[in-house]
Amino acid sequence: MADAAMSGPGRRIYFRQGTVLKLVVLAILVALIVLPLLRTVLFTLQSETVTAWSDVLTGRLSTNLFYKPLGNTLIIGVIVSAFCVLIGGFLAWLVVMTNVPFRKTIGVMATLPFMIPSFAAALAWGTLFRNDRVGGQIGWLQGMGADIPDWLAWGMVPTLIVLTLHYFSLAFTIIAAALATVNSDLVEAAQIAGAKGGKILMGIILPVTTPALVAAGSLCFAGAVSNFATPALLGLPVRMQTLSTRLFGMIEVGQVSRGYVIGILLVLISGAFLWAGNRIVSGRRSYATITGKGGRAKRFDLRASRWPLFLVAVLVLMAATVVPVIVLIASSFAPSSADLFANWTLHYWIGESSPDFAQGIPGIIHNADIVRALLVTLALGCAVAVTGMTVGLLTSYTVARYREGTLSAAITQISFLPLLVPGIAFGAAYIAYLGAPIGPFPALYGTFALLVIAGTAYLLPFSVQTGRAVIQQVGGELEESARITGAGFLRRLVSITVPLAVRGLAAGGLLVFVKIIRDLSLVVLLFTPTMPVLSVVAYRYASEGFAQFANAITVIILMISIGATLIANALQTKSQPWLKN
Amino acid sequence: MLEIKNITKRFGTFEAVKDVSLAVPSGAFLVLLGPSGCGKTTLLRMLAGLENPSAGQLVFDGQTVSDGDRNWSVDPAKRNSGLVFQSYALWPHMSVRGNVEWPLKVGQMSRAERDARVAEVLELLDIHQLANRYPNEISGGQQQRVAIARTIAPRPGVLLFDEPLSNLDAKLRVEMRTELMRLHRATGATTVYVTHDQIEAMTMATHVAVMNHGRLQQFGTPNELLDRPETSFVATFVGTPPNNMIPVVKNGSGYKIGAKHMPLHPPAEVQDCLAMFRAEALHVRSEESATSLPMELVEMSAIAGRTMVTALADGLRLTAIVDDPPQVRIGETVHMELPPEPACWFGLDGARLH
Repeated sequence: MADAAMSGPGRRIYFRQGTVLKLVVLAILVALIVLPLLRTVLFTLQSETVTAWSDVLTGRLSTNLFYKPLGNTLIIGVIVSAFCVLIGGFLAWLVVMTNVPFRKTIGVMATLPFMIPSFAAALAWGTLFRNDRVGGQIGWLQGMGADIPDWLAWGMVPTLIVLTLHYFSLAFTIIAAALATVNSDLVEAAQIAGAKGGKILMGIILPVTTPALVAAGSLCFAGAVSNFATPALLGLPVRMQTLSTRLFGMIEVGQVSRGYVIGILLVLISGAFLWAGNRIVSGRRSYATITGKGGRAKRFDLRASRWPLFLVAVLVLMAATVVPVIVLIASSFAPSSADLFANWTLHYWIGESSPDFAQGIPGIIHNADIVRALLVTLALGCAVAVTGMTVGLLTSYTVARYREGTLSAAITQISFLPLLVPGIAFGAAYIAYLGAPIGPFPALYGTFALLVIAGTAYLLPFSVQTGRAVIQQVGGELEESARITGAGFLRRLVSITVPLAVRGLAAGGLLVFVKIIRDLSLVVLLFTPTMPVLSVVAYRYASEGFAQFANAITVIILMISIGATLIANALQTKSQPWLKN
Repeated sequence: MLEIKNITKRFGTFEAVKDVSLAVPSGAFLVLLGPSGCGKTTLLRMLAGLENPSAGQLVFDGQTVSDGDRNWSVDPAKRNSGLVFQSYALWPHMSVRGNVEWPLKVGQMSRAERDARVAEVLELLDIHQLANRYPNEISGGQQQRVAIARTIAPRPGVLLFDEPLSNLDAKLRVEMRTELMRLHRATGATTVYVTHDQIEAMTMATHVAVMNHGRLQQFGTPNELLDRPETSFVATFVGTPPNNMIPVVKNGSGYKIGAKHMPLHPPAEVQDCLAMFRAEALHVRSEESATSLPMELVEMSAIAGRTMVTALADGLRLTAIVDDPPQVRIGETVHMELPPEPACWFGLDGARLH
């Protein structure tokens, strides 16, 4: 004990441990998320704008402004979420619990639609099913001689189909995860008790997975009601409005306060459904997490219906993934979508401007607008990946390290708030927030910074969740044991935290990147010609009738998305060298 | 000298540690003993500087390192202490050598010194042949040794252990116990060791602090705890087999145990109380006697040439150590005979009666 003399003075602790960090994180979150929403609400309450509320809710125009779009939105939400749970649940059941052929392939395919931007399927639908009702090019089926009725080409029905084919994969992911945790002992115990397949499904599996079904349904509902691209591409040409297209239209024509009011109402509706879903399942969550000893019970034997059910699954999956991709690629080569597989040309990709072709619009690589949009999009993706993961990691670290207290609870709640806010409403909120100068800060409308800040805030729930997974990998004691050696915050970060977390962070960053580059609903309102992004450029081309360019750009987004997703998956699954045995 | 002065720790409204005070001399081996949730780990984390006390002081060798009353704290790294975590907390991306060396690097030790010190501690813990392996490539017992090597490498004056043996199997645990005591002699560091295992405490400690519900129940040497337990909790928590604690009910002028009158003489002024009998003082009879209780035989096991007998009746569980096993089968009735007087008396509040 000779060398036990104390060295170094202590220091006074003015706050409880973590208070400073918590306050910093809270301030960031408030600035990113709470203030934009608050500002939007306040904007509509000024004396010259408050009439927007009565215009929208009770005025002469309210039927067209609000109630009809509301009706359409609710129809879309209810029907799409019902079908998503049905299809997603069916596929999840096939993959997790039965002996259907090619289970694993079906499982992978079922997660793919969510990688495809939601406007891709809508564009593909148009390329196949357009008829001559609104002029412009006709689709392939009409070109082949089929007579496509209006209800199948435009409006509600195609919107429902396209959205269902997009969002069922979200339901699949949630339900499959829940089914996978159904302890095989539960099923075996029921079998021993004498229950047969149907009884087991109704008596054991369904009740146990109810929380997941409800969660899947409410998330699909929230996604469908806030989706902008699909109703805009398939519904707007025939004047079918939803709340999100209405919101977009109001802001486009300068009726900003009415737009904000519609946005606020949209947030309330999707928030109410998510809240209700959460409410129904709260307290029942604990069901699914009983730890199992691995080893799955015998799979449910489908016997003769193995191949028929396989075919049904393949049909759905083809329609959701393979067909749209093929159609988009083919269409980017075909001068006429009426004749999709003939006269292919590379003009839309590499052609110089020529008056004979597409009104002189040059091919993608010679098209300065598209190239600039590509660069801006990539830069935006990278920037948001970095800022998003930084804020996400900081937030999840703070909450994981200092769990107690109202501050931590507030941080958690706020960080998940953007889940309740549809992208287009969030975009509108950011125009209200940073569109005009605040004190010494200049207006950010039309700047790259605005896109980055809004994107970071919008994806925060996702990056916080990813950050939390990373923090769990690093573990509290690993960091504490480094702290005891006297290593400062930076040194711990460089030597311990980052080496352990780098793969998880990179994978999370890549997924954030993918989410932002294929997003349309958030950026569609923030878009300006000086700061173009690919998805909005594609949307503009599509609505102006240049389907080939729209489709070609979508193919580019698709390729980048899929590439980045594959790299992220590889990073996540590849074991770390020091974990190899 | 390591002093703990009136330490209290609150998490919100919950008091994890309540007004604990004790002091041990330099070089002592202090064990904090108690059931899970008794506050012992919280106390250890305060000693390490990972938590700040809500009230009270921690003093290492005359220097205050934590002061909850003045919100004063010395950084964990500057307390001259080292902590071995329950999970070992080895950095998975560093080799065994890297794990041991990194804290020295942080401490800005020169390269030559560092190499010498790493070699020395790896040798001391007999893991030098594992120097280039990664934590996932070695066994739990070896990981434990690496964690200890990492902690002692910077030569801390105070060594802190958080249930270090709880993840090891029974045989390895006994070996590591011996190893830790050897290490304690070799380093001479004041050691604070948290465990819920009273055998570990009794074999290793120079001083034991028994805790329950955040309070210090008793502080003393292992022998003091065995000979003079201050609370009924200590009396039943410490010792192998544990002491028997029997409720005694005043009935008129005499006293009853269960339904039976017993010729007992508790300290004068009390009504109902608890009587402590040592296991070796009990006898097992096949016939009833004046001080015996009829009970159901539930367990018998041979221990070091003697037999430990456990019997149960009306929720009362008695354990006796006897020379010859009773000729009775499990489930049948035995008569547990008590000695004329208990070893000591406790009030119903658990405090010892004098």
